[in-house]
Amino acid sequence: MDLSTVELTPEQQAFQQEVRAFLDEIVTEEVHEHERRTGDGFNEGVHLALGSRGWLFPAWPVSDGGAGLDRVCQRILALELSRREVPMVTHSTTGLVWSAVELSADPELAARLKPEVAAGRVRFCLGYSDPEGGSDIAGATLRAVRDGDEWVLNGSKLWTTGAHNCQYTFLITRTDPEAPKHKGLTMFLVPLDSPGVEIQAIRTYGGERTNAVYYTDVHVSDTYRMGDVNAGWATLQGPLSAEHGAGRPDDGLSDIGMTMGTREFEAAIDAAARWAKRTTRPDGTLVADDPAFLDRLGHLVVETEAIRVTPGPMGRNKSSLSYIAGIAELIDMVGPEALLAHGSEGAIEDGVIDYAHRFAQGTATYGGTTEVFKGMIAQHVLGLPRLNLPGSKAWVR
Amino acid sequence: MERFELRRQDFSLDEDQQAVREGFGDFFTKQVPSSLVRDAEPLGFDADLWQRVVAMGATSMALPEAVGGDDATLVDLVLVAEELGKVVAPVPLVSHVVASRLLASAGGADELVAAAAGGERIVTLALQPVVGGNRQLVPDAALARDVVAWSAEGLTLHTVAEPAAHVPNQGSTPLAWFDPAAGERTVLATGPEAEALFRTAVGEWKLLTAAALVGIGQSALDLGVEFAKTRRTLGVAIGALQGVAFPLADVVTELSGARNLVLKAAWYATHEPRTRPDLPLAAFVHAARAATEAAWVSAHTQGGLGFTIEADISLFFLRAKGWSVLGGDPGADRRAVATALLASV
Ligand SMILES: Cc1cc2nc3c(=O)[nH]c(=O)nc-3n(C[C@H](O)[C@H](O)[C@H](O)COP(=O)(O)OP(=O)(O)OC[C@H]3O[C@@H](n4cnc5c(N)ncnc54)[C@H](O)[C@@H]3O)c2cc1C
Repeated sequence: MDLSTVELTPEQQAFQQEVRAFLDEIVTEEVHEHERRTGDGFNEGVHLALGSRGWLFPAWPVSDGGAGLDRVCQRILALELSRREVPMVTHSTTGLVWSAVELSADPELAARLKPEVAAGRVRFCLGYSDPEGGSDIAGATLRAVRDGDEWVLNGSKLWTTGAHNCQYTFLITRTDPEAPKHKGLTMFLVPLDSPGVEIQAIRTYGGERTNAVYYTDVHVSDTYRMGDVNAGWATLQGPLSAEHGAGRPDDGLSDIGMTMGTREFEAAIDAAARWAKRTTRPDGTLVADDPAFLDRLGHLVVETEAIRVTPGPMGRNKSSLSYIAGIAELIDMVGPEALLAHGSEGAIEDGVIDYAHRFAQGTATYGGTTEVFKGMIAQHVLGLPRLNLPGSKAWVR
Repeated sequence: MERFELRRQDFSLDEDQQAVREGFGDFFTKQVPSSLVRDAEPLGFDADLWQRVVAMGATSMALPEAVGGDDATLVDLVLVAEELGKVVAPVPLVSHVVASRLLASAGGADELVAAAAGGERIVTLALQPVVGGNRQLVPDAALARDVVAWSAEGLTLHTVAEPAAHVPNQGSTPLAWFDPAAGERTVLATGPEAEALFRTAVGEWKLLTAAALVGIGQSALDLGVEFAKTRRTLGVAIGALQGVAFPLADVVTELSGARNLVLKAAWYATHEPRTRPDLPLAAFVHAARAATEAAWVSAHTQGGLGFTIEADISLFFLRAKGWSVLGGDPGADRRAVATALLASV
């Protein structure tokens, strides 16, 4: 076991200073304002600036457009980006898709894309979820039909977050409707400027923007196929398990589990704690002196401590479910001030609690719902039997 | 609190720690069948088993070398305590080890510490401050002639001629009323030093009990999962149904977090005791909840059978609460954890 503070070499200290100075410069209030307005999870200026330093893929060698950072410096960078709430959704989807591109794309295509991805000019989004149901990924319905050297796509995807800021979507399509469910799928990297692609905004009350994407007779060259025809399920496994937290180096420089929204939850708790220290109730008593308040606050702190150390896929569920329950409780503890929006008179720390409450709700859904994860935990951690349903193996519409 | 601190997050056990876990795991599994636990009721003590636990070195390992110990750390101790909890071993190891360490730190009771290390004398501690002549229920006081307690006067060793009378209780623990006026009293420390020693000891007790509760929860879960794999309804194993499987998935989620939180608190208590003194309390709160949930979910998974005395889950169900409640209301710990946050934001 080692939970000690990492001792930095002089070079690493200098790197930390460099990161802080650079981020101070590029992550301006305008960046946060832009994020609040758009909910994009992406800021082109910041993204390109990070790319120019090789910090989008900091572990890649400099010759590939990375920064060749050691693990400690990678962690320094990740912590500073998180601390500053840099919008990173599109960055993270790009990273997930890249792992598949590297493994499954036509090597020429991959070689052409790599420097662009590193520089931040090419970005990827995830075209997994169908309008008819996202949990059953392998039940995808969007059709791809071969036409000589091309494929013709028809159908739609919901929740393609970042599509309007990306150049390609990593699309799961049905190429053989007669085959068993998992054996009729093919993955493509579809250029989003193709004729027939239409992107429409969807807004969440968490403030995020995501998209519905419609595909009408979209022609895609076979060079954009990822992996073999009808082997899409295998192509998908790498990025999917990465999204589910697999493959992190085991050197104590990664998070223990996959957390969802924990930074937002902790920020709200800290803000409520500061509020309690400076706020008196109408009867003149200081909130922080109220034992009932402290008891409830202590419960939330224990929950965040537990979230931070709950490993792997279990951390995914713990973080989301404790956050959703806890943030609702925190609002009761603080009262209506907690829900004053950013910019309102009296809003607590720019509305951080209001935001955290709205944001919490999506964390139980995207990236695989908490129910889907409970199913995986039951089967893979506890070894419980799997329930065979009509659509488990067959493609049932 | 600095939320973005650059610290390692390495929870892997080294070889020695793994050897402790495996050694005590094997020992407790072999030595403590559920029949032994039942036979030790209602007192919750098996004298032969105690001798074997002493022979394993469990009572001396975490004492300073100067008094005959091996300087094992709290990380080692939580590993032992979890294994003990897995079989709900009827021995007063947690209180005894914590009180022995407290006596060794306070100084002035060398003979008693030596006798405690060798298991000849069982020692315990009163977890609540003593106020006036008010009595309190003290874990394992039905076995111990020596009780360490803290009051405005200081940290005091209370020695009586015979252990106090056992009071039968739901968790079948050797609980007894402790009367601060009874017996001989030796003041070991006074002032802020006495209080600091006492608070540290209570933290250690809660930490080790948290570890034992994780063990209880794990065994409860295992029983529930085993049952869910074999019991059938409507032609399928009940564990294939989400209404049965999902609560069990929630339990393993809570327990895996509680186990790591116990380890984290033990690591800090060993290496940086002043950095996060609230962590043992947080670990205790979380482990107590997790064990309570594990025991109930597992009992319920087993339907009516899970409600019978004959089912082994009953042993774990009754002790999940029966052991955790000895630490008092977790609400007090939650308030302490909140107070620590308020001081740091
Ligand atoms: C803000 C946001 C961003 C997103 N971004 C992306 C993205 O970038 N790319 C992408 O592809 N998708 C994205 N998603 C989609 C997300 O992955 C899906 O919403 C999710 O997988 C659930 O699918 P669904 O919404 O269709 O619900 P459904 O799958 O229809 O589920 C409805 C309910 O039934 C439950 N349920 C479904 N199946 C089971 C089962 N087998 N067992 C038990 N319960 C079940 C679910 O847990 C849920 O509560 C995003 C979603 C949101 C809200």
